[in-house]
Amino acid sequence: MSDLVVLPDRAPTEWRGTAMRRRIARRYAAERRFRALGLLAVLVSAGFLAFLLVAMLGEGARGFRQTELSLTIDFPAAHLPLTAQAVAREPRRAMIGVDLEGAVANAAERQYGAGGARLLSDGAWLTARDAILRDPDVLGRSITLWVPAATSIDIAAKDAGEPAAEAAYAKLSGRGLVRTVFAWHFLTSADSTDPTLVGIWGALKGSLLTMAVTLLLAFPIGVLSALYLEEYAPKNRWTDLIEVSINNLAAVPSIIFGLLGLAVFLQTFHLPRSAPLVGGITLALMTMPVIVIAGRNAIKGVPPSIRDAALGIGASRVQVVFHHVLPLALPGILTGTIIGMARALGETAPLLMIGMRAFVATPPGGFTDPSSALPVQIFLWSDEVSAGFIEKTSAAIVVLLAVLMAMNGVAIYLRNKFERRW
Amino acid sequence: MSAPFLLIVIIGLAIAAWFTARARAAAFAPPTDGAQRPHSRPGQHGWYTALWVAIPALIVAAAWNVASPALVTRAVLAEPAAASIPADPLERGAILAETRALATGRVAAAFHHQAPVLAPAYAAARLRYGLMGLALAIVAGLAGGAYAYSRVRPDFRARTPVERLVMALLLIASLIAILTTIGIVASLLFESLRFFAKVSIVEFLFGLHWSPQTAMRADQVGASGTFGAVPLFWGTIFIGAIIAMIVAIPLGLMSAIFLTQYATPTVRRWVKPLLEVLAGVPSVVYGYFAALTIAPAIRTAGLAMGISSASSESALAAGLVMGVMIIPFVSSMADDSLAAVPQSMRDGSLAMGATQSETIRKVLVPAALPGIVGGVLLAVSRAIGETMIVVMAAGLAANLTANPFASVTTVTTQIVQLLTGDQEFDSAKTLAAFALGLVLFVVTLLLNIVALRVVKKYREAYE
Amino acid sequence: MLEPRPLKVDAPKMTARSVNVYYGAKQAIRNVSIDVSMEDVTAFIGPSGCGKSTFLRTLNRMNDTVASARVEGDITLDGEDIYAPDMDVVQLRARVGMVFQKPNPFPKSIYENVAYGARIHGLASARADMDQIVERSLRRAGLWDEVKDRLHDSGTALSGGQQQRLCIARAIAVDPEVILMDEPCSALDPIATARIEELIHELRGRYAIVIVTHNMQQAARVSQRTAFFHLGTLVEYGSTSEMFTNPRETRTKDYITGRYG
Repeated sequence: MSDLVVLPDRAPTEWRGTAMRRRIARRYAAERRFRALGLLAVLVSAGFLAFLLVAMLGEGARGFRQTELSLTIDFPAAHLPLTAQAVAREPRRAMIGVDLEGAVANAAERQYGAGGARLLSDGAWLTARDAILRDPDVLGRSITLWVPAATSIDIAAKDAGEPAAEAAYAKLSGRGLVRTVFAWHFLTSADSTDPTLVGIWGALKGSLLTMAVTLLLAFPIGVLSALYLEEYAPKNRWTDLIEVSINNLAAVPSIIFGLLGLAVFLQTFHLPRSAPLVGGITLALMTMPVIVIAGRNAIKGVPPSIRDAALGIGASRVQVVFHHVLPLALPGILTGTIIGMARALGETAPLLMIGMRAFVATPPGGFTDPSSALPVQIFLWSDEVSAGFIEKTSAAIVVLLAVLMAMNGVAIYLRNKFERRW
Repeated sequence: MSAPFLLIVIIGLAIAAWFTARARAAAFAPPTDGAQRPHSRPGQHGWYTALWVAIPALIVAAAWNVASPALVTRAVLAEPAAASIPADPLERGAILAETRALATGRVAAAFHHQAPVLAPAYAAARLRYGLMGLALAIVAGLAGGAYAYSRVRPDFRARTPVERLVMALLLIASLIAILTTIGIVASLLFESLRFFAKVSIVEFLFGLHWSPQTAMRADQVGASGTFGAVPLFWGTIFIGAIIAMIVAIPLGLMSAIFLTQYATPTVRRWVKPLLEVLAGVPSVVYGYFAALTIAPAIRTAGLAMGISSASSESALAAGLVMGVMIIPFVSSMADDSLAAVPQSMRDGSLAMGATQSETIRKVLVPAALPGIVGGVLLAVSRAIGETMIVVMAAGLAANLTANPFASVTTVTTQIVQLLTGDQEFDSAKTLAAFALGLVLFVVTLLLNIVALRVVKKYREAYE
Repeated sequence: MLEPRPLKVDAPKMTARSVNVYYGAKQAIRNVSIDVSMEDVTAFIGPSGCGKSTFLRTLNRMNDTVASARVEGDITLDGEDIYAPDMDVVQLRARVGMVFQKPNPFPKSIYENVAYGARIHGLASARADMDQIVERSLRRAGLWDEVKDRLHDSGTALSGGQQQRLCIARAIAVDPEVILMDEPCSALDPIATARIEELIHELRGRYAIVIVTHNMQQAARVSQRTAFFHLGTLVEYGSTSEMFTNPRETRTKDYITGRYG
């Protein structure tokens, strides 16, 4: 074929013709459909988030409330081997071997008839004990206390109970013997086998201790690594190896870090199981790459002119970095650190691997005590059969999400306050 | 002597040294005409001296910490009261352990009658050696400090060694990443090799039957358990790479398209962080949500559709929720890729008379495809490594089925299952978890390398 | 200063009357009136930032894609107001094609690049039809002989000059009535530039061509009419030979003689 071959001209396009008009209408319809699809995708995603949050908040709000039952205990009639003097003298010792639990159960049977003890939480006697410790003189008379109700009554009070429990609750409620109050103890106590007695403080404290270890390890190591890689590292194979390691570590599934913790810290170094110390080290290894990557980006954001200016007036390379680059990059590094810490706080799988799933009924006292952590506690409660745990699990999730939101809020605040453009 | 106290003493000494040396350096006469200026600033002399105090003291303290328990034990055994302790090493060890617990106040009463007798002696020896250690550490610190202080002169270049140390510190910090990687690879490999000594690697990788429950007695049926991991691999792929991606890719991609191409800047500024919240919700929350709300709903729907095998631990429930969790991930990768397509492509298409959606579908998305594919690979790698959702919402039954209403199990679920509870560390069951971990590690690593390479190549194409 | 009279053209293809363009609060074009003729190549010249590209982009409503842009005044194509509510922008851009500063072929095959416009507008019903459109467009853009054996290679694999001719072929494929060229040679070497200029000569008469250029020699070589823009206003508009030999305005004269620019 040669260039001289002249193809016939097309007839000019009939833009005004009906066929073309119809076609264009179709194209605009497709445009609207496509746009609507995009909007739909955003709405579905946001809707799922809203659904999740509303479901958790709704259920969780119930977990923060607790039903209490009025109970009159006649101590003289209970014939307890306990005197006000003994309690006043040596409170703890005096209580040993005293069947307060039985006395409370008897009082319930007397007040509410046969089966009355089953209306109360297993921990109702603790309220009686606290009343005695507060004022030993009550042992000489009859008192009326608000004690936690059993799970079935608690659920009935929140409109979701079984028919029998609902009936019992209706009867109690009619006589004014039952009330629903804010469950302060949920924020102050630790795990328990009875859903009416559980609290989140033990797990929260475990998480805080774990995070403290993580922060103490991951932050300095992360910042120093980032400084080295951005400011000093020579271009060679070692540096490449470090970079590849960090980028890969950031993508390794969290459960692998759990396996590392199990094999190295527990099996090889024999560090204590279930302890915030080990959990913290494991999570630090996971968080460190996140901090390094955020740190490097923040350091990259510091313009070279500042380094040149400092070098120009005779500062050493260490002085340039610690006096000028690091302070300027710090807000960015802190933002990245908080985001990394927030991720670590929500991690569950690695902690399961190193045994932080034990039943721990007292808040941990130190870094080496057996402990739980917030997300692990959520996992453990979600596995419980008793219906009372459902709302407690949601309440724990509300606490976890609140802490995470606060952390992210701080990160956003830092970013907005210190973000600067050169 | 408790370690924190020792640390505080050493730090206190170092601070004192810092101030002393700085004061001395500051007293150097200011440079008069013609005189040489001091090389280093007073603060640098301070750091030099402080480090010379802290480092020797810390080394001595660490060494003493390692050595002193043996010394204490020897001292206690030399006590006359220790003569009655039996020579049997097992019993002797038990008694000594109890003595230690008594002396440190960890227990209130002892089982062995010798323990309370020895406890005061033990406490005394501990105190004696502790004080000795403290003294040694202080002496080492002071000696180092004195040496450094004597070198604080106008012409001494204190800055150089201090900065060299800082550089060493930086290098060590960045080597931790390599150490961690080595630690992961070594521990996974080591335990996996022990597993493959018990179970053939071919059976593990290609076997179709997974039933790790070893029997109590050796003569029972299936006493050794079977470790064919293919059902696990399938379950992982089915949930993480198929169901989750069917949810995440369209929703994530369309969200990104809407937010980058259609939404006004105000809408974008508000909605984008909102979607990122989805990524910030911990997976345990998703898992709980999947198990509590989604799974029963799907089971009901499945039964209503006449699928009698609909399980309350369906693959669909776990996959759906995992897909939602991955949405922001896909969306932000797609967002970046679309933003990297040059504006001139968009203009070129619009100037031809293409509508916006035609431009997006026929020019922008094809141009951004490598980046989007890379992002999807990263998302898959994240999904198959995700643990809590599948542990809570997927089942334990190792089925080879493509029925989304049936229950399948995944690699991560089984790792958690195998390592939960008390068991001896050497059993095939426990070691299998590490073999599964190794497979997971290798696969996610490969996915990441490929994905990053694809993304990088694509970025270069437009630079 | 006297308002420059729009140069009257017999049967103008496009007309602009009292056009103002704003980007947010900033005014980029002030009161420009101009006619574009079918027979001639029109060149817009002026120092950078004078608004000549902005004005060009109002002629096919590409400024619509900039959220902050606002256009006032009347612009017509064959007597129809192109900013009228019932004017369809998709059709308008098919009729008023555009070639950009930097060649921007899509990351598709050469064939698909050229076929793109015909496909979206549904101009070809059969495969053979499409083949014909692609071949004719590539021939007119003077690229056929160079690429006919590798139509399915990527368009981005071509050289810069070839890429720009591919973009011209792409624009031609939808049979536009007007072709706007926004400094089409600024990213090309002199040989590729000469090739494009030659092409513009060949295309003249078939399409109304408007070319923005900062290169006065180029304006002199390819155009029959020239408009000189300065600081968002149209300073002078006339036949190219007259403008270059005998400018009426001192600013035009200063620019042409290289006093500023």
